[in-house]
Amino acid sequence: MKTKRQVIVGYVVLILFLVAILLPFYWMLVTSIKPDLEISAYPPTLFPHHWTFIHYATAFQQDNFGIYIRNSVIVAICSTFIVLALASMAGFAVARLPIPGKKTVLIALLIISVFPEIAVIAPLYVLLRDVNWLNSYQALIIPYSAFNMPFAVWILRNYFLEVPGALFEAAKMDGASVFQTFYRIFLPLTRPGLFAAAVFTFVASWTEFFMALVFNSSDTMRTIPVGIALFSGQYSEPYGTIFAGSVVSILPIVILVIIFRKWIVSGLTAGAVKG
Amino acid sequence: MAQSEQVMGNDQKWRAGRKYFLRSDRNSGIRMMAPALLVILLVTLFPILYSVVMSFSHVAITDNGFQIHLQGFKNYNILIHSGIYWHSVWFTIYYALVTVFVELVLGMLIALAIHNVERLKSVSLVVMLIPWSLITVISAEMWSYIYNGVYGVLNYVLISLHILSSPVTWTGHSVTAVISMMVADIWKTTPFVVIILLGGLQMISKEYYEAAYMDGANRWQVFWKITFPLLRGSIALAAMFRVLQAFGVFDLPYVLTGGGPGRATQSLAMLADQALFTNLHFGLGSSVAVSTVVMVLVICLLFLSAFRSLVEEGA
Repeated sequence: MKTKRQVIVGYVVLILFLVAILLPFYWMLVTSIKPDLEISAYPPTLFPHHWTFIHYATAFQQDNFGIYIRNSVIVAICSTFIVLALASMAGFAVARLPIPGKKTVLIALLIISVFPEIAVIAPLYVLLRDVNWLNSYQALIIPYSAFNMPFAVWILRNYFLEVPGALFEAAKMDGASVFQTFYRIFLPLTRPGLFAAAVFTFVASWTEFFMALVFNSSDTMRTIPVGIALFSGQYSEPYGTIFAGSVVSILPIVILVIIFRKWIVSGLTAGAVKG
Repeated sequence: MAQSEQVMGNDQKWRAGRKYFLRSDRNSGIRMMAPALLVILLVTLFPILYSVVMSFSHVAITDNGFQIHLQGFKNYNILIHSGIYWHSVWFTIYYALVTVFVELVLGMLIALAIHNVERLKSVSLVVMLIPWSLITVISAEMWSYIYNGVYGVLNYVLISLHILSSPVTWTGHSVTAVISMMVADIWKTTPFVVIILLGGLQMISKEYYEAAYMDGANRWQVFWKITFPLLRGSIALAAMFRVLQAFGVFDLPYVLTGGGPGRATQSLAMLADQALFTNLHFGLGSSVAVSTVVMVLVICLLFLSAFRSLVEEGA
């Protein structure tokens, strides 16, 4: 029932939208390879007249961008593994086992997980300072795991619900324990859910700024967002270095997104469908 | 068989509502949920309660750490009489409402476009997921370079098109700073809204549309009588996620405007951050944070009750 006009209007809207998304990325990329004089030239050069990779060198040699990347990778990967391990067990329990009041608990957890970070930052800072954990990996890994746990439990619960319940009974008949049933039978069947939960946790940990800024501000413990926000130039904003670092940190995530796009989208929409 | 009968025979039954369950299943369920629950309670619920205590206290920072003395409503009393606090409250509320409203309208338009075109769908999804996965600090730096008053490309484009006659320092005036911040937010998060709405659109059966067009309905009627009502769940979900996120907005003003000029773009999170970590007023800062949580809770409850009535209507 789609008229030709509808499709043409659709194309126009869609292409304008895609261009609007991509243009700022183009601008960032070309700025990162312009020399400083050209970065602050007016009128701006829409295509670089001179190419240079000096900003990439500055980011890694003069600034500690390599260390920021290492910190971000460690924090994001550890948080992701903790979330997967704990949330898959909890998701299975909520989906398949009789637990009194589990629905209420689940909804309460989801609400807590969308609270603004400002709600917990001051007390966590006080606690971390008391145990001398400021400027440490665990200062970020533990809160990131906690904040991403509820959504991961929710996604995984939806996937566990899709596995036929008869499998659960059958495994029990064969004498498998509940945990064996979960680990040997259900977990392999919910791999897409695990991928989705993993990407969500990884991206959230990779992009988080507020806690990273407050808890880990010493130069060698900064994650990428804090490092980029605190890059400082001698005279003005060092946009060349900032965008060189940005380009490097965007690439791995873009690859991740391209590989896992199907599961990310189904994970995002599963919440809407089964809510 | 014999073994499992024995296992189940020894097991006590446990009753919930009209159903009977095995007690062993319940116990292992609780055991499997416990680690996740424990982490969440320790790192989110407990700190929130601690925040509440600090918000009613005078918090002194000494060589031996933080010392907390309860002092009743004093911090809240200061807030209620502070113009700075109310400015942040109103800024955060209208910032959240305006950005989410624009994102929903734009998101709906684009989701319908993608749905109608049908090609380019997988390309669009990848492109849309890039801003979703982008570090907000990076997008804020990107926009601050675009908005720059001396060599920013936005001024160049607008002057070339004869829309402006002289360059504008976009983040230097309170009205343009607020708008600049909203545009940056809308650019980054509209794709998320599109993905949620597109998921909802794909669930609507084509038969409804065929029947409506058969009956001579026009496109406008079809949108308002079929698409919109059937999408209400997805719209509410996207709106709730986004409003709650916008309520905690911090990264974007921190990098793009620093909360300024003056306090024009000082969100509640920015204000709390300043009270806590610049002025080291942990009691006052906590009361700003707790009041934000209360507002967020109210919003959640409003959305949840709206959801419930949607479900009861059978929508």
